[in-house]
Amino acid sequence: MTTLEAHDLTLGYRDAAVLRDLHLAVRPGRVLALAGPNGAGKTTLLRALARLLRPRQGAVLLDGRDVWQLSERDIARRLGLVPQNEATEWPLTVEQVVALGRAAHRGWFRPYAAADHAAVDAALEQTGLGPLRARLLGELSGGERQRVLIARALAQEPATILLDEPTAHLDLRYQGAVLGLARRLAHTCGLAVVLSLHDLNLAALYADQVALIADGGLLAEGSPDEVFTAGHLQRAYGVPVAVGRHPVYGTPLVMPAAERESNHV
Amino acid sequence: MRRVRLLAGLAALLAAGLIVSLGVGAVPIPLGQVIAALWGRLTAAPPATAQDAIIVWDLRLPRALLAAALGAGLASAGAAYQAVFRNPLADPFVIGASGGAALGATLAIVTGLPLVMPAAFAGAVLAVIAVYLLAQSGGRPSAINLLLAGAALSTLLSSAVTLLMFLSDRNLHEVFAWLMGGLAGRSWPHLRTTAPLMLAGVAGLWALARPLDALTGGEESAQSLGLNLARARFAIVAAATLATAAAVAAGGIIGFVGLIVPHAGRRLVGGSHAGLIPISALAGGLLVLLADDLARTVVAPVELPVGMLMALIGAPFFLWLLKRG
Repeated sequence: MTTLEAHDLTLGYRDAAVLRDLHLAVRPGRVLALAGPNGAGKTTLLRALARLLRPRQGAVLLDGRDVWQLSERDIARRLGLVPQNEATEWPLTVEQVVALGRAAHRGWFRPYAAADHAAVDAALEQTGLGPLRARLLGELSGGERQRVLIARALAQEPATILLDEPTAHLDLRYQGAVLGLARRLAHTCGLAVVLSLHDLNLAALYADQVALIADGGLLAEGSPDEVFTAGHLQRAYGVPVAVGRHPVYGTPLVMPAAERESNHV
Repeated sequence: MRRVRLLAGLAALLAAGLIVSLGVGAVPIPLGQVIAALWGRLTAAPPATAQDAIIVWDLRLPRALLAAALGAGLASAGAAYQAVFRNPLADPFVIGASGGAALGATLAIVTGLPLVMPAAFAGAVLAVIAVYLLAQSGGRPSAINLLLAGAALSTLLSSAVTLLMFLSDRNLHEVFAWLMGGLAGRSWPHLRTTAPLMLAGVAGLWALARPLDALTGGEESAQSLGLNLARARFAIVAAATLATAAAVAAGGIIGFVGLIVPHAGRRLVGGSHAGLIPISALAGGLLVLLADDLARTVVAPVELPVGMLMALIGAPFFLWLLKRG
């Protein structure tokens, strides 16, 4: 069973430390949401977990080994990253992009084999992209492109998948589709899923576990019910917050509760 | 498959272009005599006319082959750099190869040393190495640092060339001709020394097609797929530089082919480099071959600079492509 763990992690860029002494364990079969204010370090933490940023102190452990002792390919076989969806003009087809996920197994020079085509088909199937496989990435909508990047990560056949703000720029329908897929991957396929999310209500609705990051560290961790309390959120965001309940699922529903005429930031 | 058919079609077109090129020039030679001359040389039979044999075999054939190899090298290098830098304006010269080659060649010409070709090759390679090292601030060179260092060093090198030209009044015409690019007087020895390097560069870039595809999506994204960024970028720059430096050493600065051919190629076969690199190589070869044919016939016996002609034909064609969408 693959485990991903942040151990005593201190992260930063140049002189400024962004996160200090952070401990976090990612569990298989669960969706972990990283929540917190802008600039709190959600993406920074994801980058460190994906071995894209070297920690100042501490380590990220994948199956008990420091990720910096593993090669890029070792990581890519066990951990898939879904980067933030930029609207770039990729002149590649959906299938070509998803097949790139197979480099983790097949290498960068050998031609793809039957096992690779099967994995690509499975990834396209899981993400509902079968009918779009021959389309160019640049022709797709934001939601479709996000699913392509998820399919690419799935083609890596990883045990853990990291998604950086997967709902950015997506409308209500695609937000639900992408997060629903993430949940299904965790609960049905047993993947460990970590995602950074801006939207607290989406985090509350779709995540099994939430890590609230603020003020350079982990402010609270646990189920959405445990983490999304008015007290925690007020401390994290510095504004008054009211917490209600989702009318259908009963998960926390977070609303700003500051005086509405005030405009100080 | 469409891609295979396109590649085969373009290869056939290039082969036909090569044969036709042997007949055109200051002394036109009919196709039948061209083939007879080639056949005569290959089978060691006595040639129909000795003059034809010399023109076809010793003058035009090596030059045509060199034009094709040079176009293939520049176009493939351009395609690779456009992927690595994720920049549609990237061409084989973005990280200093042309500036370095120009300085090397100019130095050799104004000092009268008969080493123009090796000096240009060395200048190109050294300039790229310098850019690579200069971009290296704080660990590995980022793509944007490479581009900026390339732009700065290219400017520096071209002012050095201007200064040399200003200070020297020897052989200025030769310097101009070199800077404008052309294949006048190139023959078998030039082909033998530079074409293998160009083709090795093209082959290397073709082998790196999958890393190039991954890099189109961004560096961190490629790294998360298991790519060792530093190693991949080094290999790509090395292969592209081999092709570019050899091309510039053989023909001077021939611009444009490395910029537009990859864009046209993407319209034909898409952005996957397994198809794009060979299609760019074939189309680039064909384009330079045709430009060189024109260069030596339009105002024969005087030769026009190939680089200038290329831009003259290429730019309107490219604009037409853009317009067509």
